[in-house]
Amino acid sequence: MLALRAVSKRYPNGTRALADISLVVDAGEILAIVGGSGCGKSTLLRLAAGLEAPTSGQIHVDGVPIAAPHPAVGLVFQEPRLLPWLTVAGNVGFGLAALAPAARAAKVCAALARVGLADYAGRWPRELSGGQAQRVALARALVTNPRVLLLDEPFSALDAFTRVDLQDHLLDLWADTRPTLVLVTHDIEEALVLADRVMVMRAHPGRIAGVLTLDAPRPRDRQSGTFERAKRQLLADLGRAGTYRPGEEAFPSAAI
Amino acid sequence: MTPLSVVQPSAPEALDAPATPPPRPVRWRLLLGFVLPIGAAVLWEAAVRSGIAEGRLMPPPSRILATLVDLARGGELWWHVQATLGRVGAGFALGVAAGTALGALAGASGLWRALLDPTLQGLRAIPSIAWVPLFILWLGIFEASKIALIAVGVSFPVYLGTLGAILSIDRKIIEVGRIFRLSGPALVGRIMLPAVLPHYVIALRSGLGLGWMFVVAAEFMGASEGLGYLLVDGQQLGKPAQIISAIAVFAILGKITDALLVALIAPLLRWQDVAGRS
Repeated sequence: MLALRAVSKRYPNGTRALADISLVVDAGEILAIVGGSGCGKSTLLRLAAGLEAPTSGQIHVDGVPIAAPHPAVGLVFQEPRLLPWLTVAGNVGFGLAALAPAARAAKVCAALARVGLADYAGRWPRELSGGQAQRVALARALVTNPRVLLLDEPFSALDAFTRVDLQDHLLDLWADTRPTLVLVTHDIEEALVLADRVMVMRAHPGRIAGVLTLDAPRPRDRQSGTFERAKRQLLADLGRAGTYRPGEEAFPSAAI
Repeated sequence: MTPLSVVQPSAPEALDAPATPPPRPVRWRLLLGFVLPIGAAVLWEAAVRSGIAEGRLMPPPSRILATLVDLARGGELWWHVQATLGRVGAGFALGVAAGTALGALAGASGLWRALLDPTLQGLRAIPSIAWVPLFILWLGIFEASKIALIAVGVSFPVYLGTLGAILSIDRKIIEVGRIFRLSGPALVGRIMLPAVLPHYVIALRSGLGLGWMFVVAAEFMGASEGLGYLLVDGQQLGKPAQIISAIAVFAILGKITDALLVALIAPLLRWQDVAGRS
């Protein structure tokens, strides 16, 4: 369970990235966060990961305060961020340095098989496609068995086919250990396909503009009427959430 | 009469035809590099033999080769090569140690950088040869002053390269380390050192190049052995063949030591995704 209580973040340059955010994500829940650029959704994730400290407020994971990166919290970045000097297996096992080599190898092997890259253990990151690299990044984050997995626009740099493929794959992986997932995305369909709840954020200062609960069972049909209705409602929410300022992006569905 | 002409699909067998493999890259292109020097040598040899040129100050290749063989037979050449290699080795080791330590210190914190960098940049602006008189006064005319001069010459490019490499480490990669709760020595050892290595190798190579440069300067200041001594000796006794022989040995040794350095580190850099590969 991830809990944020009255969390604010103000950067030294005066930007109020987050203002008084309170939020509870239940164990095993999938929460998607959508919003335009600059609405603080990535900042929220970085705070939850312990990479940055909030200006005020508290963040807890299963009752433990988060002040620095914590073993129970995993993070997948927008880019794979694989270490180029380690093989695929070395990257996946990076967070398992405390284990004995044999135990580590077994876990790495299982994790790679789980993301469908069992044959790639000895490859270098430069030899992978974008989708494969992001799979390895997923395996690296999941192999330590985090209770909360944070994903920062993890599929946004991938082509449409690979993206849908990896979305399904993510659900598959999630079903194994059912960690709490917090997924920041700018892809409304992605949010609607994956999440139990979709949180819409609003900029200046970054705050919660609305939450949409989705009851439809997964896997969800992107063509169904409920899906379309939810999409329309979310777009309307986003439209309201947008504070249209000159030079700032609006929310045409294609762009989001 | 048909109003539209239909484009015929191309014959299917054309698609099935095995693609002829591209011709293997020609290896003899490597030999192309030898054309100019060997051509020039042959021309000069011919010019001297036919009496067009005199060849007293610029001896023909045959005489240079004979001088080299002479020096090698007498064991004299090895003696000089050993002396020079020893100086370069010691100076390079000291210079790399100092440059790396200072670069790491300045790269580790802004405070150290603010303290060290201006002074080091100032010292770097001094032509290293300018230290020679001082080093001789301080350290005497023998080995110590020579090695010190080489070490000074080597340390600056290594310092600059180390500092630049540390400052250019990708913040995003560091964050990966932080997410896995690495800090201090673990962060340095598992993230920063490997990230720095490719730049550091280049710093070492330019340091080694300068080491060879400064060993000559060091041996000009009164050595009784070494390749630099052969140069001075050749000038004073009017033996141009000996000078060119020594220069040739410098070229060969410089190339070999650089190749050795690259070969030693190559296994650590197999992962690199660079344009120079393939």
